[in-house]
Amino acid sequence: MNKTAAKITESVFFNRSLLRMTGVSIVIGLVSFIILLSGKHPERAWQAYLTNFLFWSSVAQGGLLFSAVMQVARGRWGRSLTGPAEALAGFFPVSFLLYLILFLGYKQVFPWRYMELGEKAAWLNLPGLFARDTAGFLILYGLGFIYLYHSWAFRLNRKTDAGKTREYLNRLWNSRSVDPDRFRARMTLFAVLYIIAYAVILSLIAYDLIMALDPHWYSALFGAYHFVKAFYMALGVLIILASILHMNPQIPFALRPSQFHDLGKLFFAFCLVWADFFYCQFMVIWYGNISEETAYVIARTMASPWRPMAWLVFIVSFGIPFLILLNRKIKSNPKWMSLLSALVLLGLWLEHTLLIGPSLNPHVHTLQLGIFDGLIFVGFIGLMTLVVASVLHVLPELAESRISEGS
Amino acid sequence: MADDRTIMGIFSDEETTLSAVRALKETPWSIENVMSPIPSREIADELSTKPSRVGYFTLAGGIIGFFTGFALSAYTALQWQLVVSGKPIVALVPFFIVGFEFTILFAVFGNVVGLILKMKLPDYRGLADHDSRCTGACFCVVAVCPVSDEQKLLNFLKNSGADTRILS
Amino acid sequence: MSENANPLTFGDIDRRVLATLAPASRGYWAAVGLLAFGVLIGAGCWAYQIAAGVGVAGMNNPVAWGTYLINFVFWVGIAHSGTLISAILHLMRASWRNPIVRAAETMTVFAVCVAGLFPFIHLGRVWMVYYMLPIPNQRNLWQNFQSPLMFDVLAISTYLTVSTLFWYTGMLPDLAVVRDRSTGKKKKIFTIISLGWTGAQEQWRHYTRAYLFFAALATPLVISVHSVASWDFTLGVVPGWHSTIFAPYFVAGAIHSGLSMVLTLMIPMRRIFNYEKIITIDVLENVAKAIIFTGFIVAFAYGTEFFMAWYSQNPVELEVFRNRPFGDYAAGFWIMAVCNTILPVVFFFRFARRSLSILFMVSILVNIGMWFERFVIIVTSVSRDFIPHAWGLYAPTWVEFGIMIGSFSLFFFLFVLFVKHLPSVSMTEMKEMLGKRGGHGG
Repeated sequence: MNKTAAKITESVFFNRSLLRMTGVSIVIGLVSFIILLSGKHPERAWQAYLTNFLFWSSVAQGGLLFSAVMQVARGRWGRSLTGPAEALAGFFPVSFLLYLILFLGYKQVFPWRYMELGEKAAWLNLPGLFARDTAGFLILYGLGFIYLYHSWAFRLNRKTDAGKTREYLNRLWNSRSVDPDRFRARMTLFAVLYIIAYAVILSLIAYDLIMALDPHWYSALFGAYHFVKAFYMALGVLIILASILHMNPQIPFALRPSQFHDLGKLFFAFCLVWADFFYCQFMVIWYGNISEETAYVIARTMASPWRPMAWLVFIVSFGIPFLILLNRKIKSNPKWMSLLSALVLLGLWLEHTLLIGPSLNPHVHTLQLGIFDGLIFVGFIGLMTLVVASVLHVLPELAESRISEGS
Repeated sequence: MADDRTIMGIFSDEETTLSAVRALKETPWSIENVMSPIPSREIADELSTKPSRVGYFTLAGGIIGFFTGFALSAYTALQWQLVVSGKPIVALVPFFIVGFEFTILFAVFGNVVGLILKMKLPDYRGLADHDSRCTGACFCVVAVCPVSDEQKLLNFLKNSGADTRILS
Repeated sequence: MSENANPLTFGDIDRRVLATLAPASRGYWAAVGLLAFGVLIGAGCWAYQIAAGVGVAGMNNPVAWGTYLINFVFWVGIAHSGTLISAILHLMRASWRNPIVRAAETMTVFAVCVAGLFPFIHLGRVWMVYYMLPIPNQRNLWQNFQSPLMFDVLAISTYLTVSTLFWYTGMLPDLAVVRDRSTGKKKKIFTIISLGWTGAQEQWRHYTRAYLFFAALATPLVISVHSVASWDFTLGVVPGWHSTIFAPYFVAGAIHSGLSMVLTLMIPMRRIFNYEKIITIDVLENVAKAIIFTGFIVAFAYGTEFFMAWYSQNPVELEVFRNRPFGDYAAGFWIMAVCNTILPVVFFFRFARRSLSILFMVSILVNIGMWFERFVIIVTSVSRDFIPHAWGLYAPTWVEFGIMIGSFSLFFFLFVLFVKHLPSVSMTEMKEMLGKRGGHGG
């Protein structure tokens, strides 16, 4: 085994320039994180870390949800897109690692440790939280991988040689015989299980890692809001990924305009669902006007310094996409849709900061967002790109569109 | 016109209708109308119909409705300026729902108005030449040709697999 | 597993559906008569209530909202899945819905009609509804548009209007088919109401576009209407009611009960009208699968509510959620929990999804469960709110039971009248479904 100067098997997905770009951005992100960490306010570093960890994990989890839902609902138009969607799920192991690293910042990331919790301490205590969230991630990602195991048995041809990883994976499937009907039935079963786990575990994560930052506030819809938002984000990333694959002439991935149109419609639909879930919480809390509930909302949407960010999120992630996506033709245009999705994702990244920031930085007068937060975001973008490119490199069949599917 | 014949060809399925329409486009005769029991995108494409503009009525209705909803609730609240439950007098958060419902309602009204205007319904005059098979299982193609070509058109339609009927 | 051996033709569909419009048997009119009698019972009780005052119903302090609200929310909920099937599944191009579209949309229109009666009934002095309408008047009196009850007025009227227009527009091509196949007075009536539809390309061009817009508009409307209905409860501060999850939870529950009502209506209908080849067992199976999904959402909502009540450590919330399973109305709670969340699990098994008797039984039980869900939410929260000495119980009176019988009778009465006088299966959509399968593959 040649460990020195390993020859990178290059492909259209994974080449030196990509490695260089993502490597640089990851290093930039890491350095920015360390700078923030060693500064006067280490909670800023962990705020950025938590934001990005949640953001990109949601994208990965939502990506696999797309594939699972297509499998259960037997939507034909989405078949070609399930490949890239499953590639997003390659982030799962990285996400789990990032989750474990999160606990290194336990002093900053869990402000409820310093608060009077009363009976709530039975739920909000570090060992308990660690245990249940770890179990949650393992169950979710485990079910996801079992689903992928079955899905990829159909998708992959066994003969490609793209390096050692692929050889190992090929052996996984070759070692047992694949009975198509049973595999398909199990694939649907695990898709259903993944969907259920998605709803439950993402709610759990939302309650434990976001909502608990303000332990005396609660909103029953918060979990559902989080997993709906995750799917919205995943669709945005999927649009960008599908567009990149489609527009690259070397990759055998091509979608019909009607498929882009359908994806755009789904994106629009979840823009509305996300906004609706936000409004449901906002309206109820605003109207009831109970001070235990309103403090959280006021701090984020009406009080400075966070108020401008809230409006920015609303305009960028709801207002603009709503007005633009009413137009029929733009949904079939991959370039413009990618641009719009990127804008929406930026807004949702700000939204994550908006939820977390005020809890980790109470009583501040200036916006807790600076250049380093942006650079950390860039770092994570690089990380995600690297992961997805690696997955596509090892499993290039994911980027093959199935032209035979009717729509 | 007095020296034109209008002949209806009645086909039993979409495929033969499509090929007949394509063939008819090659001839000097004009296709006046095609009736079908179900909408057919292919036939519409062959006849090069433009996309319908009903949507503009819907959009206009929706926009009017949105502002009407807000205007109605804000205006009525400002009449007495009573503070209810500590909420602001012109409270945009709940008024959004009023605006939303009016948006949908007026958009639907716009949709219906657009449909009526564009389809020019109710229109009972078209029923005079209507063949009841066209709404059942058959596709009807109405073609116009000069009187001299009447037999040629009849044969053309019969060869394409249709029953024929002379309308005028 | 569909009837590939003997595929349907356009003519088959027309004949099958038009046969249902033939003059009815004595049994039919007997059923109509029975249902009319039920409607009269309801009307009589309502008339008595108007004369004697709303106090003859059981609502009082502290439980001021009882079966009238429960039935209101119940019927609005049933209406929702009709729009789901006709509008949302149209947008998703799920063609399996085509056989049941017409009946589902009709169910929506009639359910909204019945639901819309209940705010009137609940008023007691029915004429007071005048003050809920924004009509300019000398005293410059206006409604409080910030009130969720006003949102209800707007939402329900919008929903009724939109659903009726959607239903009628959807029926236009079918009405033309009936016109073309009937004679005499029937032909005259259908000529008028089909507005001169000939199936010309010009007409289809505008029609399909408008239908798409109808579907696209009806979808957010459906979500907003039941969200508005849920906000009747959550915008207050009553414990057990003030919860942000209510809006999506109610929408999911509405679809859950509506899909079950679709099964309840379709299974007898396909038997009586020999629709087995049109409304195939596959269609019913798909409805059952959707019920599993909505059942899960409802179960998730129940679980979340209990978790949040504990997490909040708010003593009043804790008491409300202890009271629901173990208090005075525990029976209602357990009926709700079992019927809504545990029973639909049986649909995981294929044999259950394709067995008419199981489908029918479960659909009825789910609707009973959903009725009790509204009962539990409304009555338990209000019977025990903040101040213990103001706690009290509620039981419906005979007037309320009579009105309830009337409401169910009215719904089925309208539906039974409909199936014999208007085409209960959309011939046009069935032909579209066949056309796609037959000619062009995929």
